[in-house]
Amino acid sequence: MSFSMSQILSPYDYKDHGKESLNKKAIISSVKTALKSKILYGVVAIIVLVAFVKAQISAFSSPVYTPNFSKIPTVQYFDLDHYDGSANGWQHEERVLFCVPLRDAAPHLPMFFGHMKNLTYPHNLIDLAFLVSDSSDDTMGELQKHLKEVQTDPDTSKRFGEIEIFEKDFGQVIGQGFSDRHGFAAQGPRRKLMARARNWLWTVAIKPYHSHVYWRDADVETVPPTILEDLMHHDKDVIVPNVWRPLPDWLGNQQPYDLNSWQESDGGLSLAETLDEDACIVEGYVEYQTWRPHLAYLRDPYGDPEVEMELDGIGGVSILTKAKVFRTGAHFPAFSFEKHAETEAFGKLSKRMGYSVIGLPHYVIWHIYEPSSDDLKHMEWMASEEIRQKEEAKIKKVYDKVWNKAFEDVQDVWRSEKNMFLKNTDMSNVRRIQVDWSGVDDNLDKQSNDKKLADFSPE
Amino acid sequence: MVYIKNQYIRYIRKKPLSLIAPISVLLLVYFYFFAAHGSSSSSSGNKYSYKKKSRGLFAKNRDSVILKNLPKNHISHYDLNKLSTSADSLAKKEEVLILTPMSRFTPQYWDNIQKLTYEHSLISLGFILPRNKDGDVALKHLEEAIKDAKAANQLKYKKITILRQDTNSLNSQLEKDRHALNVQKERRSMMALARNSLLFTTIAPTTSWILWLDADIVETPAGLIQDLTSHNKPVISANVYQRYEDESTQQPSIRPYDFNNWVESEEGLKIAAGLADDEIVVEGYAEMATYRPLMAHFYDAKGDVHTEMQLDGVGGGAVMVKADVHRDGAMFPSFPFYHLIETEGFAKMAKRLGYEVFGLPNYLVYHFNE
Ligand SMILES: Nc1nc2c(ncn2[C@@H]2O[C@H](COP(=O)(O)OP(=O)(O)OP(=O)(O)O)[C@@H](O)[C@H]2O)c(=O)[nH]1
Ligand SMILES: Nc1nc2c(ncn2[C@@H]2O[C@H](COP(=O)(O)OP(=O)(O)OP(=O)(O)O)[C@@H](O)[C@H]2O)c(=O)[nH]1
Ligand SMILES: [Mg+2]
Repeated sequence: MSFSMSQILSPYDYKDHGKESLNKKAIISSVKTALKSKILYGVVAIIVLVAFVKAQISAFSSPVYTPNFSKIPTVQYFDLDHYDGSANGWQHEERVLFCVPLRDAAPHLPMFFGHMKNLTYPHNLIDLAFLVSDSSDDTMGELQKHLKEVQTDPDTSKRFGEIEIFEKDFGQVIGQGFSDRHGFAAQGPRRKLMARARNWLWTVAIKPYHSHVYWRDADVETVPPTILEDLMHHDKDVIVPNVWRPLPDWLGNQQPYDLNSWQESDGGLSLAETLDEDACIVEGYVEYQTWRPHLAYLRDPYGDPEVEMELDGIGGVSILTKAKVFRTGAHFPAFSFEKHAETEAFGKLSKRMGYSVIGLPHYVIWHIYEPSSDDLKHMEWMASEEIRQKEEAKIKKVYDKVWNKAFEDVQDVWRSEKNMFLKNTDMSNVRRIQVDWSGVDDNLDKQSNDKKLADFSPE
Repeated sequence: MVYIKNQYIRYIRKKPLSLIAPISVLLLVYFYFFAAHGSSSSSSGNKYSYKKKSRGLFAKNRDSVILKNLPKNHISHYDLNKLSTSADSLAKKEEVLILTPMSRFTPQYWDNIQKLTYEHSLISLGFILPRNKDGDVALKHLEEAIKDAKAANQLKYKKITILRQDTNSLNSQLEKDRHALNVQKERRSMMALARNSLLFTTIAPTTSWILWLDADIVETPAGLIQDLTSHNKPVISANVYQRYEDESTQQPSIRPYDFNNWVESEEGLKIAAGLADDEIVVEGYAEMATYRPLMAHFYDAKGDVHTEMQLDGVGGGAVMVKADVHRDGAMFPSFPFYHLIETEGFAKMAKRLGYEVFGLPNYLVYHFNE
């Protein structure tokens, strides 16, 4: 531009000889304009250079070709390398798939959604997936009610990304009461069934663009709102917190809960060798003594919550994994894998595939307290004892009253009122009343022709 | 020159903005390209920073848009109890997902699936390509084929998902250098990771069947999907053959190609029992004679195409799987699972989950021949 301008100016200068002073000014102004445009040029050149270098470098750092299907909506392209998951995923817009298996969980849902609303991980980056199985209560209705509520929250930052609800019944034979679920014999089949449920959930829910997968049971009572960040910043492939539960005072107010998170031991390995192919070791039962170090027992309430511990088996109450762990094939074995099933076998399988499996002994979340059947018996006894005592107190009160009444001294009153009572019973001067009963039964006799009298014999 | 220089300085002195402006433009440009994209921060909990950062200095994600066409409130509901998987797949409108790991694009493969007679709006396609030059080349060809089909109004599939592998692949040159048996384990382990990544990110709540079809299967009957699903088996494999010209007779002829469809043998089990935990048994190596009956050898040109045989190992060439089998967790082990790996390990895992595995010895599909 500057060149063309000066070219336009110069023929003018030579033609117009009478305007020397003006000419000088024109030169200065032309230099000024030239300078201005030079600077402009420089800036443009730098922008172009920057764009070019950027293109070169990005081509170098990610050498793969990217197709362009923006005009064909049914075709999608994803580079899985963009979804490997990092320590600070929330700063990189990494999406989390949040999986929740549900069965007869309606009573837990208000508490569960209370936690969900408080999550500090950006809600728009969280995709929720629920699997509702074999429920006899209104788990589905409750779930939909809560979801609708949170998704219409006036504060849009409270709303979540994509939400998918799946229904699939597996025909569970085992009841959902605490001791139904926790009896030794029930464990193998129950764990394998639960494994199927978990697999059906994540396999249909996970998308190419998920970077992390988080598993959470509905029955968690206390959990930090930063749980996702707290687990994610460790940058491990599979990571679990410690899970305890509060107890009523008469049981001594807290207890390790999740015994499925453990490190393999020689005892465990030699036990595994003695068992047949389909056997399923479950921790926390006297039938199987493994002497494995459990995450739960290693807790120090004053310990550093950042401390990590290598694990082999894990529990499913709260698991954070990189999405690539599931993507590349780790799952919850619904068969006996190295003599384990479900989440414990998931830990073993992930390890087998070369992923890190970590537990945090001093970082704790709290499962709800559900009484066992012994606890229930004790509680029933305590409750009935309370009722009995209350009843007893009530009876005693009545009894005492009756007792006092019964022994009230009424001699004097009787003596003073006696004559009045006796006077009223003298009927000699009461008026005589005559009643004529003749003809009363005539009506009855007439009826007896068509209707039989009731069979009545006074004897 | 001096005059100009003076002018320059004088100019800047008179109008300092003229220098500041370009510098600030430069800074702006720098921030636009290099630094954080915006900085919306949430103040809830000061334990972590919620400032957004771009990944790497120069990277920009050019993948497809995430979360589009979401339903109201973003909530969708699927009843998987109603999902049907039957011998009458087409009549019941059962959805099929065709999955293909692809390191090379063969036009005949594409032409072949375009000719499949199963209702295309019930078919979804999934591809995964290696993260190397081979993958780049194959992807460009695939992109072109898809765009051509679209232009000709011949693209009727429900959905196509194309993935780039984040896991490793072997370079083709390296492959020849190494001892074949060693390479086999590593190569198939990587293939297993690729297959799983493809499978689990594309299987949908509406998928009834999954057809594994390798990119070098160039010829199948047009009714492939109906034929395989009509057997209504959890896992069923076609017999992979190859066309070639017989040198002696100069006649077109066929020969068996895929030897990974087999029935376990005493000998095979004995070999496996003698192996260390991390070793695998593979077919087709003289040093490991398993004497396993191979489906490839059971082909009878005059036999019934619907003849079934039970198998213990499958190859991945053309295998129809009920989606439930994968949903239950049957995947392609990337590690020795009962001394088996990838597709053969998959067959074993399906069996551990209580499913039966079949093959159709007289039902042929053809592998590419260069
Ligand atoms: N979809 C589905 N969810 C289930 C099933 N059984 C349990 N759940 C859910 O899975 C989670 C964990 O279930 P729990 O019953 O606590 O099972 P658990 O963890 O083995 O037992 P605890 O040790 O008591 O926690 C809860 O959110 C349940 O609602 C099932 O069969 N199907
Ligand atoms: N994504 C991906 N696909 C691959 C890779 N290597 C091969 N494939 C594809 O996977 C399928 C099976 O590949 P191979 O096992 O090499 O094929 P094969 O037919 O068994 O063996 P050959 O053809 O004899 O090499 C084919 O569709 C290939 O295009 C890879 O590293 N990544
Ligand atoms: Mg629980």
